[in-house]
Amino acid sequence: MRLTIFQRENWREISATLARNKTRTFLTAFGIFWGTAMLALLLGGATGFKGMMSRNFAGLSTNLGAISSGSRTMSYKGFNKGTPWYLTVDDCDNILRVSPAIDKGSPVYYGSGVVLYGSTNKTVNYNAIHPDYGRIIEPVIYSGRFLNDADQAQARKVLVVGKNLAAEIFGADDPIGKRISLRGVHFTVVGVAGQLGEASISSRIDDSILLPYSTAQRSFNIGNQVHFFAFTAPAGHSPSENEEAIRRYISRRHAIHPDDKNAMWMMDLSEMFSVIDGLFLGLTLLAFFVGIGSLMAGVIGVGNIMWIVVKERTHEFGVRRAIGAKPADITVQVLLESITLTLIAGTAGVCFAAIVLGIIDHVTADPLLGMAGFEISFGHALAVLLIFFVLGTAAGTLPALKAMRIKPIEALRDK
Amino acid sequence: MISLHDINKTYPGAVPLHVLKDINMHIDRGEFVSIMGASGSGKSTLLNILGILDSYDSGEYILDGIEIKNLSENRAAELRNRLIGFVFQSFNLIGYKTALENVALPLFYQGVSRRKRNALAMEQLERMGLADRATHHPGELSGGQKQRVAIARALVTKPSIILADEPTGALDSHTSREVMQLFRELNNEGMTTLIVTHDPAVGEATDRIIRIVDGRIDGGNV
Repeated sequence: MRLTIFQRENWREISATLARNKTRTFLTAFGIFWGTAMLALLLGGATGFKGMMSRNFAGLSTNLGAISSGSRTMSYKGFNKGTPWYLTVDDCDNILRVSPAIDKGSPVYYGSGVVLYGSTNKTVNYNAIHPDYGRIIEPVIYSGRFLNDADQAQARKVLVVGKNLAAEIFGADDPIGKRISLRGVHFTVVGVAGQLGEASISSRIDDSILLPYSTAQRSFNIGNQVHFFAFTAPAGHSPSENEEAIRRYISRRHAIHPDDKNAMWMMDLSEMFSVIDGLFLGLTLLAFFVGIGSLMAGVIGVGNIMWIVVKERTHEFGVRRAIGAKPADITVQVLLESITLTLIAGTAGVCFAAIVLGIIDHVTADPLLGMAGFEISFGHALAVLLIFFVLGTAAGTLPALKAMRIKPIEALRDK
Repeated sequence: MISLHDINKTYPGAVPLHVLKDINMHIDRGEFVSIMGASGSGKSTLLNILGILDSYDSGEYILDGIEIKNLSENRAAELRNRLIGFVFQSFNLIGYKTALENVALPLFYQGVSRRKRNALAMEQLERMGLADRATHHPGELSGGQKQRVAIARALVTKPSIILADEPTGALDSHTSREVMQLFRELNNEGMTTLIVTHDPAVGEATDRIIRIVDGRIDGGNV
């Protein structure tokens, strides 16, 4: 058998045959085109949705954990069921010391109060935190600086204003260095900040005020009360590894029954991320399932058209056999036709999907976070084409074998 | 050139059809022979066997010194390509190919390079006086021109024998005479030619007529 793939005449013949039945070629090609486009779109879409989802958590350490106090749900050491307990800043320091896998930790006290600046009078949310909070939720500094260790150590009356809040309070003025009053105490604004993602522990940085915890203790008379303790686990560890040590400490310190799991709330963001990963896996599987379905429809279409083409060309193949074509010559010709159709339409489908995904990516792009990642990787695109190549060949095989069985005697039968 | 000994062919079925009965036939190199018979006489079956398009049940068939028996599809295709030039009643040209491409097709299956097979095909078209029609498609040619293209295709591999099946069946009488004249000229150049027909005028134009009646050669063996 000759290497018919390199014969220009063969290619000319393939294009001539496919061009002869324009409507049918187009419909079949469209089936494949749509199949590849759907598969590529679904795969790229799944990636994009994951990108959009994780964009919500941008700037948030995936190893984030947090605890907060609540009420006892079991009676213990004279405390009745239902009595509340309160987390303190000393607890935070102690937990930092006793826990095996905490990198950075910060107490969070949240509250709301009236801000006065010039004629502006506004009730806002504030968070009193340790400067390490900036390592737990990565802030975007628009101007000035974030709170630092000296602010905390010296209980300086400084605060960082959220970007949206700054616009409302100061308008066009530069907030840095301005003095504002919060809950009747005067502070100096040292920075304007925001955050990347949507997710936050209490309120988003963009919409609230941050001040040192030590300052809040002195100025707002909050004692040593803390609402949350937020922390990160070092790389390679999960926040939950600290749970046992934290519970043991809290149980002893606050007279909570060792088995009273509901008295303390604990959050582990890495677990939420694995839920999202699972969701994404499901989405990808669904994309594959639906995509494979529409792909199969396209491939069966190719098989169908090739079958009809072979029937139609029985006489021609008979003539070819009579003048010396071997069975394999005919088979290769039919196979090459179906592979060509598949490859051209498949490539067009993948290109179309890439363009559509590109448009979606631009439309959903965020000025701060960039593209969500609606895209299909080159490897994936090649894989889709390869699948089509294999299936296209498979679809052409049956008609090709049928063509191979055509006897040269057909040529002598009148049409 | 062609030698048949006691060839028998039966088509199996509910009622087996014994179409060729003890055919003995001999054709020498350079002969111009016609096989005549009514429809159903078995002449088409005989042509198919001679053309290695069909098998026979018993007997012996020798073509150009080669015994034609139990051939694989590939070997049969190769022998057809090399030894036999077919001319068909309905021309059997491929509609979406030009005259030149049609003529070159048998060489394509021999693996001849594109340049060489086009040159050889052009040579044959020139011989048929159709050089100016080389780029035309069969649909743009008259019946006589189509048949001459088909004859050029039959000749392009320089076969041992031309087998023509009712070559004038689809042509008017004037064109028929021209085509028969062409066969005569080819024979004069030494080409062994065998024409199957039911048209007495065609038979008369050949040197020898073999008549088939009910699967037997009329008048015994030839």
